Amino acid sequence: LAIDANMSASSLRLELPIQSAAADEIRCDVRRFIQDERSAGRLQPPSKIGLGFSIDMTRRIAAKGWIGLTWPKRYGGHERSAMERYVMTEELLAASAPVGAHWIADRQSGPVLLKFGTEAQKQDYLPRIASGNCFFCVGMSEPESGSDLASLRTRAVRRDDGWIINGRKIWTTNAHRVHYMIVLARTSSVEGSRHAGLTQFIVDLTAPGVAVSPIVSMPGEHDFNEVLFTDVHVSDAAVIGELGNGWNQVSAELAYERSGPERWLSSFRLLSEFIGTLGSQARQSTRQELGRLLSHLLTLRQLSMSVAGMIENGGTPNIEAAIVKDLGTKFEQEVVRVVRNMTSVEGLLDHENAVRLKELLTHAQLWAPAFTIRGGTNEILRGIIARGIGLR
Amino acid sequence: MSDSDIFRDAAEHIFVNELTSAAIESIKERAFPTALYKALTEAGIPLVLVSESHGGADAGLFAAMTILRAAGAAAAPGPLLEIILGQSLLTKSGFALESELTSLAFGGQIDDLELGAGIWTKPPALHNVSWGGASRRLIVVYQYANRARIAVSNTADWSISPGADTADEPRDQLRGQDIPVVCAEITGLNYDETLRSAALLRAGQILGAIEWIFARSAEYATERKQFGREIGKFQAVQQMLAELADNALASSAIVEAASAAFSNMLVAAARSRLGDAADVAIAIGHQVHGAIGFSREYGLNYRTRRLMAWRDDYGSVASWRERLAQAFVGLARDEVWPKLADTALRGPD
Repeated sequence: LAIDANMSASSLRLELPIQSAAADEIRCDVRRFIQDERSAGRLQPPSKIGLGFSIDMTRRIAAKGWIGLTWPKRYGGHERSAMERYVMTEELLAASAPVGAHWIADRQSGPVLLKFGTEAQKQDYLPRIASGNCFFCVGMSEPESGSDLASLRTRAVRRDDGWIINGRKIWTTNAHRVHYMIVLARTSSVEGSRHAGLTQFIVDLTAPGVAVSPIVSMPGEHDFNEVLFTDVHVSDAAVIGELGNGWNQVSAELAYERSGPERWLSSFRLLSEFIGTLGSQARQSTRQELGRLLSHLLTLRQLSMSVAGMIENGGTPNIEAAIVKDLGTKFEQEVVRVVRNMTSVEGLLDHENAVRLKELLTHAQLWAPAFTIRGGTNEILRGIIARGIGLR
Repeated sequence: MSDSDIFRDAAEHIFVNELTSAAIESIKERAFPTALYKALTEAGIPLVLVSESHGGADAGLFAAMTILRAAGAAAAPGPLLEIILGQSLLTKSGFALESELTSLAFGGQIDDLELGAGIWTKPPALHNVSWGGASRRLIVVYQYANRARIAVSNTADWSISPGADTADEPRDQLRGQDIPVVCAEITGLNYDETLRSAALLRAGQILGAIEWIFARSAEYATERKQFGREIGKFQAVQQMLAELADNALASSAIVEAASAAFSNMLVAAARSRLGDAADVAIAIGHQVHGAIGFSREYGLNYRTRRLMAWRDDYGSVASWRERLAQAFVGLARDEVWPKLADTALRGPD
């Protein structure tokens, strides 16, 4: 026992990130694009954190071919690698480009349709997503179903010519300004399994019976909504994948969203603004705190790149992806705390050159509690990790 | 199989077969683990970094890190890092391989030593020299102008005050004057790069110890029963072990990246990140184990005490943080990301 180096308890593994000329090339392309956007005055240094929402920016990104980057060309995609998509997204996010309009469709709705959708669905939606003309939101959480997603109550009932949906979705980002929601609804009750009998539907948010109402968040903004479905009719063509297979499809969908750079870059613009405001002198304590944050950031980036590379190689690193989100979102919160303290220690809180830093700090502090909740709480993620290491 | 895999398997095989608790315990009496090092030497492990023309494997820093990762997991005692790096530095400086036990120290800036054979009239005091008293020879790496040199001497010419680290490994203080030395320049490495090599190899050991603590703790949680079930069934324990898994995987990501790229930024990031991961591993490893982990008989303490000793070796965690921050202080807002993204993957900067 003293010396047994057996690592069998650990099923965790990593591969070194893939480096390729294609990835270097798209990095240069995105940087050139950002430079042009800045020069033209279309991309200003932000005073807020968050993805931002700009249909104009989304269209310009689509024109570059960066939406649906990895999808087949016959659906409007570009058949580039997962690593190239990783590089493209981290460059856009690090530059604070407002990518919120197409973010959900590009990251998860499109891939779900690609993996589980019918040929007709793929031909209908994917080219429109890739051209920046069709945006999605996520219809999972409900007033009584947060972390316990399988307890959801929205029901879809069969009617001759399709389905009738009744229920309520909540915390739906951008429901008031996108076109479609992928709704997870119960289509049957299966004895002994809460996960069976759930089905995903594509719902047009302009359909009769859909009512979207705002939920103003703590920072005072309207991103979230509550969406009420009253006898909303959809046809059979709206069903994604197999009837009753919704839980498996949603699990795959959620795995897409766990390891990307948006899970550790949310407060990056606060960190870079702090460094830019600091100038060339820094106290020793500041250098130590800053170096610590940078070391965590570099580590998260390596993890995130490794996961992207493993996905490209055909792997399903779901546990590793959950680890990226658990670590990444806690890091995002830590950046806010540490930058606030460093700003104070360096005497920058009331400095005339630190106006934007202060605005960002205020905004980031208000958003920070959400980092470890949105897209699945960290406690749920750690449950997934615990299962992965053989404890559940 | 890659070179790294072959070396890891060979090293693990030796640690499983040759390393005993008694050998780990007996270092407290300053007994060198002779049998273990004989087996390691026979397997060619000490020559992993030495060029093929000198009879080594020339397998590179990644493979050397992999060996030390296995050594860290096994809590292998003795100056394995110092032997591996020392043999490499000797041959890079025109010396022959050394068959006697040789220890290694970093002396900083030294301006009063000529190349070749001579007398070092006033050497600085050397602290925390790993197994200094047990060694026959001593290599002092020092900086001269912007170059790295080594001064090789016999430990018998030094006055040695024995000391030990938290793992009971000898860490001695060497003082002296008018020491006969032979000095030569290290080709291909400057002083910072030499220190960085040592820091990176220590990172491999730290990583191995963290990974052992994670694996053993997760396993223990499925063995130990309380309240009628395995403690790993309790959410409180699951949440702790998930956090430990986070830190083990993060450590592995940054150490492997630093070993592949050997950039100043990534090695600094690795040592900084490992500092936090070691703290988490010690805290959670012991919390999951409860009282049993605190006994000298159970293997956890060997890793815990080594992590405490290694955390600040070859550059403290704080110093690596300052060094990393220094690359960013003074940058404009929009320069921060390219600095991070571009220098991270490529070679030395």
